[in-house]
This record gives sequence, C-alpha cells and structure tokens, in this order.
Amino acid sequence: MKRKAHTALIIAGHGSTQNPDSSAPTWDHAEEIRRRGIFQEVHCAFWKEEPGFRQILNSVDAAEIYIVPNFISEGYFTKTVIPREFELTGEITRAGGRTIKYCEPVGSHPGMTQLLLARAEAIAPGVPKEQTTLFIVGHGTDLNENSAVAAKREVEAIEKCGIYEEVKNAYMEEAPLIAEWDTLSTQPNVVVVPFFIADGLHSYEDIPMLLGIADKSPGALSAAQQTVFSKNPYQMRGKTLYYASSIGTAPGFADTILDQVTEFDGKFGA
Amino acid sequence: MKKDLNAALSEWLGEEGGRIGEVAIRRLGDAWMLCHVDDVSSAVLETSTRWEDARAIANYDDKGGYRPLKTAPNLAHGWLLKLGDVAALRFALDYLYPGMLGMWAAQMRGSFSPVNLRDTLNRQTGMYRVTQKITDEQADDLTGRMCNSKNGCLKSILWKIADDRALTTLPPAKFDLSFTPSNSLPLICQEACNLLVAEARKVVKASDPSKPE
Repeated sequence: MKRKAHTALIIAGHGSTQNPDSSAPTWDHAEEIRRRGIFQEVHCAFWKEEPGFRQILNSVDAAEIYIVPNFISEGYFTKTVIPREFELTGEITRAGGRTIKYCEPVGSHPGMTQLLLARAEAIAPGVPKEQTTLFIVGHGTDLNENSAVAAKREVEAIEKCGIYEEVKNAYMEEAPLIAEWDTLSTQPNVVVVPFFIADGLHSYEDIPMLLGIADKSPGALSAAQQTVFSKNPYQMRGKTLYYASSIGTAPGFADTILDQVTEFDGKFGA
Repeated sequence: MKKDLNAALSEWLGEEGGRIGEVAIRRLGDAWMLCHVDDVSSAVLETSTRWEDARAIANYDDKGGYRPLKTAPNLAHGWLLKLGDVAALRFALDYLYPGMLGMWAAQMRGSFSPVNLRDTLNRQTGMYRVTQKITDEQADDLTGRMCNSKNGCLKSILWKIADDRALTTLPPAKFDLSFTPSNSLPLICQEACNLLVAEARKVVKASDPSKPE
C-alpha cells in the first residue's frame, strides 16, 4: 500500500471489561500496520476499553484520519455507536480542521473469503478437502447485527471456490446448531472456523463445549495458552475434527484493514 | 506548524524525566527508562527493550488479574522498559495509560471540554439507554465508589453530574488538576468512562428489578 504521510489510521474495536483477548487482535494488527510505516500514526480505540471512541481523537496529530471498524459485520456498532461517539456525519466528516474518513468494517471485505480458506488450510494441512466439511460458525440471534448474514455470504463464496466437499454455516444459538456438527456433516473430516473478530469466551469456551471437545469451562487463561487449539485433531463421534481460533486473529487481517482504506479511496477519492 | 504530541512529551520530560500515574520516566542519554514508581530503587527488575511489552504489563496486576481500567491504582511491579526514542516511549505510555497523553495535549491546547454525566447518559442507546434513569444521588454514590483514587481510578475528574449538580462523594483534590504534582503528567477524566456507564446500568436495574434484562 502506498505511504500516506500525513494521515492517521484508527482501528475501532469492541474490547472487553472481562479479559484482554477481545482487544488483543486489534492491537496486534495495529502494531503490524505501524511497523510497515504507511501511516504517520496508527491508533486503536474501543467501546469497552481505553482509549475510548470519545477520547482517541485527542491523541491524533494528523488532520486526515481513516477509521476502520474491526467488526465482523455492519450493524449496531458500525451504524450507530461508532458514528455517534466520533460525531460522524457520513462517510466523510469535516470538523475542527480535520477530515475523518469512515471505512467499511473489516469483515465486509471480499478478502475475508481467502482468509477463511487460509485458516482452514493451516489448521488441517494435507487433509483431503474432497472428504471434508468446513463449518463457518457465527453467534446467531445477535440483536441488530448482521453477523449471520455475513457468515452466510462467506459460505456461499467458499462454496463457489469448489475446494471443499461441503461448506456449511452453523451457529451457537440458532439452527443449524454447531452442537450438531457430526450429524450436519456428511464427511469424515470436519474443520470448524469461528467467524469472530477475536478469541474470547465464545471461541475458547462456548464453542468447544458445544463441539464436545471441552467438558467444562477451561478458564480465562486458556485463550492465551491456546490449549483448545493445540490439541487438533480431535477424534470423536466417528469423525476427525479440527478446531481453529477466530478468524480475526489471522495475521492477514492487518492487510484486510488496509484493503478497506484502499476501497474507501477508490470509492470516494484519496 | 504546531508541535506534535511526541515533541511536546519530549520537551515536557526534559532531562529530568517525570512520572505519569504509577510510572516513573527517567532519561538515560538518548534512551528512556520506565518502571513502577515503587521500583525506582530496585535492582531486580525484569528488563525489556520492546515498547510492545508495555501491553502485557498494563493488562495484568501483581496477582495476574486483568486490569480493565488502566488508570486503576494497581499497576504491576517488577518490570523495567528501556526504550530507544521518544516514539517508543509514546507507544509504551499509550499502552500503560491509553489516551491520557492525548487528553493532556488537548488540555494544553485548550481544546478540551468536559462532558457532564447527564450528557453522557442521555447519549446512550441500546442496553445502556436505561442508565438515564439513575438518580443524582445514585450517580454521586456510584462515582464515589468506582472512581476514588485509593482503589478505583487515579484520574482527576473534570465533569459534574450536571451543570447545577456537582459530585459530593469525593475529596476536592479529585476535581482539581492543580493538585497534580509538578513532575507528573496529569491523568484527566473528561467524561464518564464505559465502565462507569455499565455500573450505572446495574444500579438502575437493581433499583427496579421488575425491568427485564
């Protein structure tokens, strides 16, 4: 990506008051982008952590600012909370001598499909794909969020690639339930990739319990220890199961954040 | 051209260094050394030269518990960061005290406007909209419990509940930046944080248990 000398990037994430895992990928991606020296400044801001959406602009020197929401889909946070807290008036906001450019959320980028495929390959290398079911797991029943829509879109895109014998959506709280992965799958190998922005309670506790690979809560430290992801494959229910960490932790996510900036420039001009 | 934040930070620290919150900042030639203020004389500190390591230092207290509020008075001990330039120093401080250098810069620029609690709560939507029902007395009591400098938060509060309703449950020094020692960068609270808003929701819900979650 071409250098943007007098420009700042703010990656806007959700964050958590319970554990550092929610914001960790956002910080990781910011550090990676910072190392590339593309922007004059790279910042993170969060809804549930500091620095908050309301305070981060005080830390920005540059007059031109891109905000990329590190969210899996458009919804309440990208449509209501972030615009309200940053006092945005549209895709481009000019106020106080600054120009703020509000990009699409990371999860909406078409590059997500390749990231999901790469993660599935990395977690189950050499496993015959013509004998494999790939599950993309979303939360389901999210109020005001379109994460299920985004997950369905990704399944359709992966199906079109014709790489896996079977590609399916599954959810934690609505049908088709990921808890029924063995009956939903017709193939002997099963790869499960959570379609979340970070590893948190859902990916290191809730989904493992639904899959049957964890009997009880392994505790808050398990995400950092990556224990649930390091025991692949799991032989159970007559199948071989591979469980990946959330797609948002993929290193390639940093590129997708930058791609959203490029998309914005293509649409509205640099 | 206006001075950028890194330049302002470097100038403020000068040759002597200073402190911010519980962090001591000392200069060693061109390098910067950061540690817990209690550890300045300690000879046995775990040393790192990577500003990125400030993230893990900020995230956990001495007992390994997660610190959702980085300005809580429970910064871990036993570490030393040796950083090569002011840019690295800034990155580390942005992990240790997120947003606080920006708040200091805004205060110096005069582009700083505190937001009263009522305005913060009236802006809430979704699950936090209900916080608008908190009474002044409940808000005052909650802030006294959550934001006190002893075991809550080290920031100086510059907002009120409303223009005509000040906070009464914390000492006057909590609301006055002039009490910040001259060798310290201030920790400024411009507006109630999300943690306080989330607790306000619990207070409202607890006082009206008939309301569903």
